[in-house]
Amino acid sequence: MYQTHKTFIRPGAKMLDLISENPLLLLLLEHLEIDFIVDDKTVNQICSENNIGTPEFLLLANIYNGFYPDEEALDSVEDVGLILRFLKNSHHYYKNDKYPEIRELIKKLQSRHDSKDIRLIEEFFANYFEEVLEHLNYEDEVAFPHFKSLIGNRHAAKANNYCANDYREHHTDIETKLADLKNLLLKHITLENDLSNRRKFLFSLFELEFDLNIHVIVEEKVLLPIIDRIENSRLHG
Amino acid sequence: MDKLRMNIAVIEPSDIIFEGLSNLLMKSERHYYLFRMKDLDELQMQSDRKEISVIILNPVVLQNNMPHFQKMKRSMEGVFWLSLVYSYFDNKLLSRFDETLFITDPAEIIARKMQKLLSKPPDIDKCGKPGQLTEREKKVLVQMVNGLSNKEIADNLNISIHTVISHRKNIVEKTGIKSLPGLTIYAISKKIVPLDTNPV
Repeated sequence: MYQTHKTFIRPGAKMLDLISENPLLLLLLEHLEIDFIVDDKTVNQICSENNIGTPEFLLLANIYNGFYPDEEALDSVEDVGLILRFLKNSHHYYKNDKYPEIRELIKKLQSRHDSKDIRLIEEFFANYFEEVLEHLNYEDEVAFPHFKSLIGNRHAAKANNYCANDYREHHTDIETKLADLKNLLLKHITLENDLSNRRKFLFSLFELEFDLNIHVIVEEKVLLPIIDRIENSRLHG
Repeated sequence: MDKLRMNIAVIEPSDIIFEGLSNLLMKSERHYYLFRMKDLDELQMQSDRKEISVIILNPVVLQNNMPHFQKMKRSMEGVFWLSLVYSYFDNKLLSRFDETLFITDPAEIIARKMQKLLSKPPDIDKCGKPGQLTEREKKVLVQMVNGLSNKEIADNLNISIHTVISHRKNIVEKTGIKSLPGLTIYAISKKIVPLDTNPV
């Protein structure tokens, strides 16, 4: 199966070609701490130079290109730590890169249009960001350490304060509010001119939405099923 | 999933035909996501994890496979099945589909057939201008923004809870805004409620 218009990534593909086709793959490289100088190297070469498993890389990269992982791809994951590192680094990106950037852009808009609508947007975003932070902190402080101990320690007990369903609910809320923000700007809020700043703001929101969406897929379709497997094998093995 | 985005599964052996069809659909007003599948087995596997609304299928792949097809059709409720036809097939076979696309169909006809199946054109309100709330919906929105429950809204407006829920659904669909804080901003910026309303 494939979704039209993007390549299904294989080990022999040239990284440069892939980035040209989907520049958002740069986010993946950044989250995996891989340098952007990819020269003429293939995916395989880049992975081995960076000590990253090719199957894990392919799984993540293909999600960026629109392909959900199937059972086979999940089976190929050996290094769960790498998946956790990817998720942790994307948290860093949301907290220290994307959100400050969006806040700045809102401030800029506000300095030019002192309208009530922008003030409301600013407030909406501030509240939203607080919720997101809460979720990210929960993952960093409760969920990820729990997963880490599961992977590392055969005798790890089930953490009593972690719950997979909580996890999923947070995600839906985070996605809904971001979509609301975009719709308010594209359908309802009237601002005059200033197209360039508004475009920057919207691009930034789209970029964030794209990466958050990947983040959720990686957590729900990759990490959680793998963790379930580990927990089950502990219970029955 | 967003109502205007729709997942379509396509089972068509020819690359050329598939690419042509997908380009055509990409250009239409609706937002389609196309997924190409090899056969009914793959479709069955994927349909468990993807919300598929439409299946476009070349009846060629049904050869010797009719019982499987019938069974899947029964099990996937609410999904539209379209045949994509460029060779001769028995009418009896084609009548099992909700609609038939012919390879000679011009783009407008295909778009119209799709639209007819999916019945409701996006974002057009029964009572006039696209996307605008009716007076009743505005009243419900004001109460929502003020933090009232469905029950309280129903009592205040003298309508059933069921009606309140259906108004809420329309409001969300028309505005594209789902969260209460988002709807508050909408209501304020459209002057449906005054500015001093505290966002919930």
